Amino acid sequence: MTSVGTTAGLAAPRRSTALGYALLAPSLFGVVAFLLLPILVVVWLSLHRWDLLGPIEYVGGQNWRSVLSDSTFGNSLLVTLTFVAIVVPAQTVLGLAVAALLARDLPGSGMFRTLYVLPWISVPLAIAVLWRWILAPTDGAISTVLGHRIEWLTDPGLALPVVSAVVVWANVGYVALFFLAGILAIPAEIHSAARTDGATSWQRFWRITLPMLRPTMFFVLVTGVISAAQVFDIVYALTGGGPQNHTDLVAHRIYAEAFGAAAIGRASVMAVVLFVILIAITIVQHLYFRRRISYDLT
Amino acid sequence: MTSPKRPAAVLVYAGLVLGALITLAPFALGLLTSFTSAHQFATGTPLAWPRPPTLANYADLGGAGFGRALAVTTLMTAAILLGQLSSSVLAAYAFARLRFPGRDALFWVYLATLMVPGSVTVVPLYLMMAQLGMRNTFWALVLPFVFGSPYAIFLLRQYFRAIPDDLINAAYLDGANTLDVIVHVVMPSSRPVLVTLMLITVVSQWHHFMWPLVITSGAKWQVLTVATAALQSRYNAQWTLVMAASAVAIVPLLALFVIFQRHIVRSIVVTGLK
Repeated sequence: MTSVGTTAGLAAPRRSTALGYALLAPSLFGVVAFLLLPILVVVWLSLHRWDLLGPIEYVGGQNWRSVLSDSTFGNSLLVTLTFVAIVVPAQTVLGLAVAALLARDLPGSGMFRTLYVLPWISVPLAIAVLWRWILAPTDGAISTVLGHRIEWLTDPGLALPVVSAVVVWANVGYVALFFLAGILAIPAEIHSAARTDGATSWQRFWRITLPMLRPTMFFVLVTGVISAAQVFDIVYALTGGGPQNHTDLVAHRIYAEAFGAAAIGRASVMAVVLFVILIAITIVQHLYFRRRISYDLT
Repeated sequence: MTSPKRPAAVLVYAGLVLGALITLAPFALGLLTSFTSAHQFATGTPLAWPRPPTLANYADLGGAGFGRALAVTTLMTAAILLGQLSSSVLAAYAFARLRFPGRDALFWVYLATLMVPGSVTVVPLYLMMAQLGMRNTFWALVLPFVFGSPYAIFLLRQYFRAIPDDLINAAYLDGANTLDVIVHVVMPSSRPVLVTLMLITVVSQWHHFMWPLVITSGAKWQVLTVATAALQSRYNAQWTLVMAASAVAIVPLLALFVIFQRHIVRSIVVTGLK
């Protein structure tokens, strides 16, 4: 290791300092202005009242008291928790199943692999609008096929599972890609040794593949939780948070509070709470993933 | 892998085909509806084959401002792509190949910002843009994303570090300055990761919805996602028109997808997307 300090008198490192900061200037401005500053601003805003147009006034802890004692926000956190608890396990199990099929590497697997990612590439908002028609009670695709109407999106008991199903549908192919990469990374010798010992493919899946996929599993679960906890577009276009807030995910609640009710202070409190929760999840992830694992699939 | 037993292969194919049907059917049915006349959709059964197929719904979208929305979306995506990639390349070069005080601490700060979620920054960014008088401008659409992405910088830095020193030193000895080295040596030898980042950036920027929804109003700077959502809530029952709108939002990325399909699949796995 060479130290910069000992060569301080020379021209080269100093020029490197100026050059280094010159090259960093645009991205540093972006990071400070649009990622770090907003965090300070949202904390500051959580102590103020603003209706998007009028003056901003300081109200101390009033927004915090009002949000934390408000059942709407509690409901929204609970809805988000339920949503995450449905979406993440479902997309993980289905993604693993799809990956196991793709890993057989039969002719045409590549085409299927590509097809399955299509919903993920597609614009989430447009996907939601598409499904809103598919699920429409009178003239939607499913009602037409079944021949009778089902209130998929307006029945309080059905709405959240249905919204979750649409999100799972959109994510499965994407999740499968990671599991596929993980499965292909398992050395073939391990499987052939087990086969020689008489292990069936079912046994090999449970005893070899699954344990060796543990890092992939963790990555898929953690990123799955973090992104599911922030879903907005799909719920905005499918249900608008209804019926009676049964699908009011927390990102949608922040939006509705800020830009529907013009209560920026309250929305900021919710954003800070969401931020703290997500940071906690991410820190757990980093404790397990000191080194970033990257996969190559060619 | 050795050749699988016949019945097993049949089961695997059955599973794969079922998956493909579930994946594709919604797209196919939506597309079909977008080519059905509103009259036929309202009077016949909704899933009937369009008789005759019509482009009337797409023509109506032109009247609803979708031409402009497509142009704004393309322009926004292009501006962010250009800005984000060039700032990220410069920063990644500094982090990978230069030595200066504060480098490692700054890199750690960049990495930490990966944890800042978009749904948390929308409200404060709205205030900042409002204070700058930039609500409903093109700048408001692109500014928060145009100055580089910590993730792209992180990924590029790893590639740039692997470039042999001799290659870079030789260029310097030939009298090249740092910008020449970046453009003529570093970037050509990192082509795969640059293509990966370009694809991922285009896809994720094209998906933008919440930020354009709050920061723009009216038709002037409306992007496709916002236009589609607005159309859906205004013409709730006119599904033929609404399906044409979502097709317009989806198809450009689909085209990109078809052209770069092998690369996209690889890119998703390398970057984790988003």
